[in-house]
Amino acid sequence: MNAPTPAPSPAEVIPAPVGLLAELTHRCPLRCPYCSNPLELDRRSAELDTATWLRVLTEAAGLGVLHVHLSGGEPTARNDIVEITAKCAELGLYSNLITSGVGGALTKLDALYDAGLDHVQLSVQGVDAANAEKIGGLKNAQPQKMQFAARVTELGLPLTLNSVIHRGNIHEVPGFIDLAVKLGAKRLEVAHTQYYGWAYVNRASLMPDKRQVDESIRIVEAARERLKGQLVIDLVVPDYYAKYPKACAGGWGRKLMNVTPQGKVLPCHAAETIPGLEFWYVGDHSLGDIWTKSPAFAAYRGTSWMKEPCRSCDRREKDWGGCRCQALALTGDAANTDPACSLSPLHAKMRDLAKEEAAETPPDYIYRSIGTNVQNPLNEKAPL
Amino acid sequence: MTAQFPPPVGEAEQRLLSHEQLEAALRDIGARRYHNLHPFHRLLHDGKLNKDQVRAWALNRYYYQAMIPVKDAALLARLPDAQLRRIWRQRIVDHDGDHEGDGGIERWLKLAEGVGFARDYVLSTQGILSATRFSVDAYVHFVSERSLLEAIASSLTEMFSPTIISERVAGMLKNYDFITKETLAYFDKRLTQAPRDADFALDYVKRHATTPEMQRAAMAALTFKCNVLWTQLDALYFAYVAPGMIPPDAWQPGEGLVPEASPAAAPTGAPAAFSGGDVPRLPRGVRLRYDEVRSKHVLLAPERTFDLDDNAVAVLKLVDGQASVSQIARTLGQTYDADPAVIEADILVMLADLAQKRVLER
Repeated sequence: MNAPTPAPSPAEVIPAPVGLLAELTHRCPLRCPYCSNPLELDRRSAELDTATWLRVLTEAAGLGVLHVHLSGGEPTARNDIVEITAKCAELGLYSNLITSGVGGALTKLDALYDAGLDHVQLSVQGVDAANAEKIGGLKNAQPQKMQFAARVTELGLPLTLNSVIHRGNIHEVPGFIDLAVKLGAKRLEVAHTQYYGWAYVNRASLMPDKRQVDESIRIVEAARERLKGQLVIDLVVPDYYAKYPKACAGGWGRKLMNVTPQGKVLPCHAAETIPGLEFWYVGDHSLGDIWTKSPAFAAYRGTSWMKEPCRSCDRREKDWGGCRCQALALTGDAANTDPACSLSPLHAKMRDLAKEEAAETPPDYIYRSIGTNVQNPLNEKAPL
Repeated sequence: MTAQFPPPVGEAEQRLLSHEQLEAALRDIGARRYHNLHPFHRLLHDGKLNKDQVRAWALNRYYYQAMIPVKDAALLARLPDAQLRRIWRQRIVDHDGDHEGDGGIERWLKLAEGVGFARDYVLSTQGILSATRFSVDAYVHFVSERSLLEAIASSLTEMFSPTIISERVAGMLKNYDFITKETLAYFDKRLTQAPRDADFALDYVKRHATTPEMQRAAMAALTFKCNVLWTQLDALYFAYVAPGMIPPDAWQPGEGLVPEASPAAAPTGAPAAFSGGDVPRLPRGVRLRYDEVRSKHVLLAPERTFDLDDNAVAVLKLVDGQASVSQIARTLGQTYDADPAVIEADILVMLADLAQKRVLER
C-alpha cells in the first residue's frame, strides 16, 4: 500500500494573492519626508495608460485578489481614477482609495462614490495645522483634508485616518484619536514610521525615543478600550523597538503585490532597494506569470532561502524572517534575519542606533520630490 | 405567611372575607400577576436590554404616566366628600406638580430625555405602541365607568410597587452606563408616595367592600389593573425583543432622538448588544462576496478580509437590512430544522462581535 503523499508545507505552496497595491502615479502635492515611494520617482510620461491598468485589474481578480489599494503618490492625480475605480466595482474587487485629500481629491470624490468606491484611507500628517503642513511640506493642506474627510462621511463612505508617527508628531497621538472620532472615522491607523526609502534618509529627523514610543502605545491601548465599537485603532509599532519583526507584506510573495506607476511588479513597495533582483513588468508578462514565475517573487518566498537563526526558528512561517529590505539596509545582506527581531545578533545594535539618533537634535527634513538628487542611503549610511 | 386566594366557585365564593383575608387575597393577586414578574422587566432590571429597548420602554411608559392624572381627575370628580377629595387630589399634584418643571410626569420626561429622546417627540406620543394606548385608555375608562369601589381598588397595584422600584433602580444603575441617578429621579418620589397612596386605598376598599360580591369586584378590579400593566410589557416584548415585530408607525430605533452633539461627548463604551428585534445590516464598505478562486465566502471590509465559517455565511446571506435577528433565526430554524431560540442566541453573539469590529450596524 502506498503511503499517502504528505501535504506540502505552507512554505512550499504558492498561495493566491489577496491584495494589489496599485501605485497609479508617483505625483503628489505633498512631500512627506517618510514617503514609502522609492527615492527615484517615476515621471508622468512613464506611467501606465488606462487600458493597461484595466487589464491588470482584470487579471488580478482572476488570480484571487480581493482588495485593491488605489495609491500613489496621490491617486486622484490620475485623470482616469474614476474609470479605474468603476472597473474594480465591476470585477467585485474591494476598492480602497489611499489619498492625501488635497489637490483634486475632493472634486473627484462624488464621482468615485458613484463609481462604487468601497473605502477611503486619508492620510493626516499632524493634528495642529502648522505642524501637519510642515511635515507634509504643503501650505494650506490641513483645511483641504478636513473638508475632504467631512465629505467622505457625509456620503456614507467608511473612512480610515492614517497617521504616520515619528518624532515630529508623536506628541499628537491623543489628538489623532480625538480627530478620528470627530471626523466620524471608523478606523485609525497609528503607524509608526517604517524606515525604508525616504524615511531611511530622514531617519535621524524622525526617530522618536523609546519612552515616547511606549507612551504612545499606552495611549492607544487605553483609547481602544474606551472607544470599543466606535473606533477601531490599528497600531503599527516601530520596528526598531520591537521584539519580533513584522511579516513584511504578510510574507514575501504570499499575499500582496505592488504595481508601480510604470508597471513594474514588486513583492513589496521597497523591494527595489534590494540590488540584483529581477522584476518583471505588466507590459511584458501576465500578472499570473509574474506572481508565480518572476525571479523577484521567487527569491524570498517560503523558507528555503533562510539562514540561521531564521532557518530553524519556530516563528519562520509566522513572520517569514521579517523585512528583506530592512535586513539589507541594516546588515548588508537581504537574506539575513531582520535585525528588528530580538533573535538577530544585530538587534541590540539596531536599538542603540535608534536611541542615539532619538537623543540628538533632529536635522532638517529632506523632502521627497521627483528629480531631487538624493544619494542612495545605502551608500551614505553604513550598515550596522 | 401566604394566604390562600378564595376558591373561585362554590359556597366559599359567597363567604364574606375578614379584612385580613381580603388584604391577603389582594396581595396574592399581585404575587402572581404584577408586572415585576414579566420577562421584559426581568430583562430590564438585569441589564439584558440594549439602549433602544430601554428607550422603547421609557417612551411607551410615558403615555401611562401622562394619563394617570386624567384617570385620577375622573375619579376625583366622582368622590362625594371633601375629605376624600383632599386626599385623592394629592395624587394629581404629585404627578402634575405645583408649577412648571415639577411633578412625576416631568420627572418621567427627564428619564426619557436621559436615554436620548427629544422632549417634543415624547410629548407627542406619536411613537407609542397601539397596545400601550389601548391598555391605558381602557384603564381610564374603567375608572370613569365602574363603581367607585372598583375604581379605587384598581389603584391597589401601588401596594406592590415599592418592591419593583427598588429592584429597578438598583438594577438599572448597575447595568446600564447610560442611566444615571438623576435620570431615575422619578422613582425616588414614588418610593414614598406609592405606599402612602396604597395605604389609603387599601383601607377604603376594606371598609367599603361589605359584601362577598363587592369583595370579588374589588379583586377583579385589581386583576384588571395588573393586566393593564402586563399587556403593555407583552407589546413591548413583541415589538422590540422577540420576534421584533414593530408595528407600522410605532417608534423605530433612531427616531425622535436628540442628535448627539459629537460622538466624543456621548457616553461611549461597548455598543449595546443586539436583540431579536434589531435589524442588522452591512454598512457601505462591507461586502459579502463569494471568492471563486478559493471557493468560499469572505466578508470584505476596510483594510481587512474576514474568513467566515458556514454558520456565519448562512446568517450573513440573510442580513439584508430588512430582516430582524429573530426573523433570520426563524428562517434558519426552518432550513436546518433547529430551534430558532437556540439559533437566535448564537446569532446574537456573532453579530455583537461583528458590530464591535465595525463591520455590522443596525
